[in-house]
Amino acid sequence: MSRREAVDSTAGNVSTQKKEGRVAVLLEGVRTFSYLLCMPRTIDLSEKLSQLRSFNQQEGRAPSYSEMAQLFGYASKAAVYGPVEKLIDLGYLRKSANGRIAFTSKITSQISILGTVQAGFPSPAEEELLDTMSLDEFLVARPEASYLLTVSGDSMIDAGIHPGDLVLVEKGGSPKQQDIIIAQVDGEWTLKYFGKDKTGVYLDPANPSYSRIRPKSSLTVGGIVRAVIRKYK
Amino acid sequence: MPTPSPLTLSNFPRAIAHVDGDAFFTSVEQAIHPALRGKPVVTGKERGIIACASYEAKALGIKRGISLWDAKKICPGLAVLPSDYETYSIFSKRMFEIMRRYTPEVEEYSIDEGFADLTGMRQVFRKSYRDIVADMQATIQGELDLTVSIGLSLTKSLAKIGSDFRKPNGITPVAGKHIHIFLQRVPLADVWGLGLNRVQLLQKYGLRTAWDYVNRDPEWIRKLLHKPGLEMWHELRGTAVMPISTDAWRPAASVSKSKTFSTPSSDRDFVYAKLIRNLESAFIKLRRHQMRAGELSVSLRRKDYGENGLSTRLDRGVTVPQEIVPVVRELFGRLYVPGVDYRATGVVLSRLKDDRHRQFDLFDNPARIEHARRTGNLIEKINGRYGKHRIFLGTGLHLPKGDGNDRDQPCWRKVNLLDGETRRKRIRIPMLDMEV
Repeated sequence: MSRREAVDSTAGNVSTQKKEGRVAVLLEGVRTFSYLLCMPRTIDLSEKLSQLRSFNQQEGRAPSYSEMAQLFGYASKAAVYGPVEKLIDLGYLRKSANGRIAFTSKITSQISILGTVQAGFPSPAEEELLDTMSLDEFLVARPEASYLLTVSGDSMIDAGIHPGDLVLVEKGGSPKQQDIIIAQVDGEWTLKYFGKDKTGVYLDPANPSYSRIRPKSSLTVGGIVRAVIRKYK
Repeated sequence: MPTPSPLTLSNFPRAIAHVDGDAFFTSVEQAIHPALRGKPVVTGKERGIIACASYEAKALGIKRGISLWDAKKICPGLAVLPSDYETYSIFSKRMFEIMRRYTPEVEEYSIDEGFADLTGMRQVFRKSYRDIVADMQATIQGELDLTVSIGLSLTKSLAKIGSDFRKPNGITPVAGKHIHIFLQRVPLADVWGLGLNRVQLLQKYGLRTAWDYVNRDPEWIRKLLHKPGLEMWHELRGTAVMPISTDAWRPAASVSKSKTFSTPSSDRDFVYAKLIRNLESAFIKLRRHQMRAGELSVSLRRKDYGENGLSTRLDRGVTVPQEIVPVVRELFGRLYVPGVDYRATGVVLSRLKDDRHRQFDLFDNPARIEHARRTGNLIEKINGRYGKHRIFLGTGLHLPKGDGNDRDQPCWRKVNLLDGETRRKRIRIPMLDMEV
């Protein structure tokens, strides 16, 4: 990283930079050459800032001196001291009571992903979001066994499953009493309540115009319905 | 010949399973379209050549690689489907996930086959290795409606031969003390890694079966077939030398992209734009695997199926298309003949190297390379969010709008989009095709 800093300063043919009392002169022609050899050190604070911000985004805390050395690509912790002092002067970092480095709101407020938290206090939103789940996780308990199916019939309409609805079907399990299942009965696929009694298994519709089915020769369970998805415009 | 004695007496010092999907593409189609179960089905409609034939079709003599026209002649009622690689990939990933429930050491060898190192897992499941793989097979069948054939043995090579031994839906365990019996029943051509040429060479020396192979002196094998042959010799004798690689699959040699136009064209701008689009697609794939290319080949196929190509070495590893457009333009200029109708363009990137670590050369211009890399990352990020080829090189303006897949053969999933899905993005859960 320290090598690249010098390369990044692409300001014309000759660029003079004054940082921390040192002067670095870069000549366009010798740039590649000097890049490979020992480089005059110039410090690009904006790059440091963006590294610190992404560290904060990932870790939710300020790095230690040794972590900063790694982050900035320095071989020793001592080298971190300079840029840190500079950033404290500029109000991006502060020293906490126990001597550790902490971020000020100038760094933390930039990462609020919702864009609703005003600068001035550290965002609590980030931490609170750790214990949330996506709609995917909410609906799909067993991702490897789940499928989608568009319903065309109305035999489960009283159970709230309408033609055109999408059902999330799970394969590989055995259905329990009153589970809604996809099943192939005597060659035909159907969506029904599953039930079992002394006579054997049966399938019940949720629509008064259909009646209970008892398979004559075969019943294959295609899956158990775990969710119904309907989108409105 | 004396009665052969076992090569080893211990049964499973290591337990490696090879799981191989049976007629994978068509089995996936039959899983999502229950109406196709038990019927002859083939995929590959968009190419005109059969990519996969179901067991019902195979029984009629329809094999992978024959033309659709020939297949239709054999079976007029054949169900011919365009390939739906998106759904095949979802099923493939699910198959490997199920395998990972039994062991963390799973190698995704190809879309429809993988290795699993089960060594030591007997204690966890309190079952024999054979029962563990039987469980795995039943779970895959239960959750994916796919049958797989599994070979179980001490090494990858033996497991791989085993999975081919009983197909479909078979399990072939080969314990250490049975290797010598098993190998006598395996012809050389069935050994993984022995191609036609090597088999013919070995036959010259009177070898017929894998058993003949392992009974030769290893030094003799090494002289004839070098290191790979010797590794094979050890593997077949039950000594594992090939590691299970749990890394994500990466292209080893090259990445190629080639697309046929819907109608042949002689328009220079159009043909060039198509070539550049292939270049962009090839780099999308290359970047996904975090690699860089050291060689570039471009080719133009004429309407009469004649093909011209040129390739060039690049002076450094390239990761973004815009860096080598000038080279492509020059190669295209040499290949293109005005007035000739072309039907396809192709790009091959080869001499691939890992791009996760790189060291600049003495004469590189690191600032420019870094700039190109950042631009590439940004374009990738935007396209990742808004869809492939949303940001493209200017030559793409010569392509007609909405020019996606050229052959007009979209698969069932892509014509039955859910409300909110687009041609570019669909829900990552397979849809079932049945009337309920």
